[in-house]
Amino acid sequence: MLEVVQNLGLGFSVALSPPLLLYAFVGCVIGTLVGVLPGVGPLAGISLLLPATFGMDATRAIVMLAGIYYGAMYGGSTTSILMRIPGEAASVMTCIDGYAMARKGRGGAALAIAAVGSYIAGTASVVALMVMAPPLARVALRFGPPEQLALLLLGLLVLAYMSSGSMLKALAMAALGLLLGTVGIDQMTGYMRYAYGVVELGDGLGVVPVAVGLFGVAEILATAGAPTPPAVIKPRLRDLLPSRGEWRESAWPIARGSVLGFLIGILPGSAHIIASFVSYAVEKRVSRRPQEFGHGAVAGVAGPESANNSATSGAFVPMLALGVPSGPIPAVMLAALMVHGVAPGPLLIQNQPALFWGFIASMYVGNVMLLILNLPLVGVFVNILRVPYPYLYPAILVFSILGVYAVNASVVDVWIMLVMGVLGYVLRKLDFETAPIVLGVVLAPLIELSLRQSLAMSDGRYAIFLEHRIAAALLAFGLGLVLLNLYTFARRGLDWRARMALAEKGDSS
Amino acid sequence: MMQRLAATMLVLVASIGPASAQDTYPNRPITMVVPFPPGGVADLTARPVAAAMERVLKNPVGVVNKQGAAGAVGMQSVAVAKPDGYTLLLALSSISIIPEADKLFNRPPAFTVDQFAPIALISADPTILVVPADKPWKTAKDFIEDARKRPGQISYSSSGIYGTLHMAMELLSQAAGIKLRHVPHAGAGPALTAILGGHVDALASGPAVVLPHIKAGKLRPLAGWGDKRVAALPDVPTLKELGYPDAEFYIWAGVFAPKGTPEPVVAKLRATVRDAVNDSEFKAAMDKLETPVTFKQGDEFQRFFDADAKRLAEGVRRVGRVETK
Repeated sequence: MLEVVQNLGLGFSVALSPPLLLYAFVGCVIGTLVGVLPGVGPLAGISLLLPATFGMDATRAIVMLAGIYYGAMYGGSTTSILMRIPGEAASVMTCIDGYAMARKGRGGAALAIAAVGSYIAGTASVVALMVMAPPLARVALRFGPPEQLALLLLGLLVLAYMSSGSMLKALAMAALGLLLGTVGIDQMTGYMRYAYGVVELGDGLGVVPVAVGLFGVAEILATAGAPTPPAVIKPRLRDLLPSRGEWRESAWPIARGSVLGFLIGILPGSAHIIASFVSYAVEKRVSRRPQEFGHGAVAGVAGPESANNSATSGAFVPMLALGVPSGPIPAVMLAALMVHGVAPGPLLIQNQPALFWGFIASMYVGNVMLLILNLPLVGVFVNILRVPYPYLYPAILVFSILGVYAVNASVVDVWIMLVMGVLGYVLRKLDFETAPIVLGVVLAPLIELSLRQSLAMSDGRYAIFLEHRIAAALLAFGLGLVLLNLYTFARRGLDWRARMALAEKGDSS
Repeated sequence: MMQRLAATMLVLVASIGPASAQDTYPNRPITMVVPFPPGGVADLTARPVAAAMERVLKNPVGVVNKQGAAGAVGMQSVAVAKPDGYTLLLALSSISIIPEADKLFNRPPAFTVDQFAPIALISADPTILVVPADKPWKTAKDFIEDARKRPGQISYSSSGIYGTLHMAMELLSQAAGIKLRHVPHAGAGPALTAILGGHVDALASGPAVVLPHIKAGKLRPLAGWGDKRVAALPDVPTLKELGYPDAEFYIWAGVFAPKGTPEPVVAKLRATVRDAVNDSEFKAAMDKLETPVTFKQGDEFQRFFDADAKRLAEGVRRVGRVETK
């Protein structure tokens, strides 16, 4: 422990040097911007700025890139809450309850809770990263394809808790999402699926254009089609701060979201997106008033926003401790290290103590900076709601198209976004929820690949899922969950969900 | 984003500029397309090359990442670009594999190799065969003999089907007459994670990727696919030395222009790249990446390219389509 304190002292001496503070600050500001702009997420932000770091030294480069990563997680909530447009893919769940809060005049409160939740999750997960990185990284390595499949199947069960309306409709949307997720080159055989000769579809439908289309563009279309435009909200100063009740209701979701996000973040895949989905589902499950979810539940903002933030620290665990990427973003950051002649690998912490501990310390500093940066911005951002819709929405549409185009410089992505926008509009009119589609698009390629990799490893024997103990345990847990739900379902007949759907039907007809 | 927008603008402006300015080439910014995401081998090679070319030409050379479909999107975009020397491509070995794989599935190829004029080879890293340090095989001979005894039992991870890491192993399997179990992964990073986690038994990957893990004692190198031994691993024999001359494979990076680029422009580009690889800043950048420069140009590169493409095409054909059961 003494060693950790000493090392951290070294780290802070590095992190608090003026140049490094500046780079951390620049990273945080760019990250916030990248997060706020619809479509442009942390991956795009980091990729585009990577060349700019080639001239810096390794520590500065990595500190700035990390600032962009977690800064984007802070900023991503802004447009989700105020305009129902995911600033980046991990903020999809925030759109639902955050926007509902904003419509009730609690937009400032939602933004403040998202910022504070992000701060707590960010700081707590850096502590975890610092103390437990090497042992946790070894656990992460043991997650091979069979374990991953088991975990992802558990994630699919989460779907059942995501909707507030009909379960059947939610499952239909999830199935649609999973189908959309199969577009592209089959990783195992090289076949092109549903690409119709469009080379750009080889990589499948990107989650960014799908999410921005289904949420953002659909929202714009729906507003344009409404008989009366939504009232312009004039936020008052005292509405900017969360009430005592709202703080109380977000305390546990922030804590749970931090832990969940960190643990999921360690594992390979699009962890920060999945973490926010899982956190939302967990909060809804444990909430005493699940019927409030979808209509402005504070926990539905606090949990996912904390989770996607701590997932970013989790993602650094395998990267720093072992030199292996847990997803596309750490992969780009590893490349940044290699450019500077720092060989990422199991010896990194030993060989580059100033870099590792400086990086850790800069994450503490960065989280404080982001909180200071974001809380006053709440007051600025909520004023966007004052802009009349005829001016605001066309501008947002332009930014969405620019953002989605910039990620891959691909016009095909813009078309995907627009088609998804129309689809999202139609589905909303028919009372379908679109979040399960996004989750399906994220999970489908991962589930398929890990299933087929597992079977390739075992030469086609399904017994591999029972032979791997972690996988077997996870599957048994999932089965238990299903059985438990079937039991309550059989006993109670209609649960709150069905009753509410009935009640809503009664209201509207 | 601004950079990309700016680059796109430049391309747009460039394409409407005068076409007759051949003798004064280059008189406007050159775009080098990297068909892979930032941070990959191609990107990390392209950036120092472009920077060095810029210093030689005293004319901007911008890198644009145009990723998608394992590189096919970016390569296709250069194949059909105006052959005026203002659009270049930095491609990896996969440029020869993609059209063959398209052929295998009877789909119209995204592009063909003869749509490109090779300018110069920048680097060619042989892949290295590694196994987890706790596995019994101490030499490549042990490994191959065991694989012969247990066909289809020893597994390896790759960067994806028909990907470079897959083709390397496939060439070895064909040369040694062994059968290994292939577990494709989504990229070279996940393939490395799989072997470090003990989920597969072997991997063929670039020296820069596996070296840190060899030094840390996690992986054991058994053999290399190169013509000569790798400088950083002087004790690791080549497969050629071990009696498998057909198992020669490199993850190489080269600069291409679209076919039909005027000969004087091609000559100028070749001279530029030759000067660029001798640039001291360029050398320092490649040293940091632990990627030795292997420069070839003109006929020499063409011969290397043709031989490599032939080996890979044969490899892809012999792998054939993976039939689903």
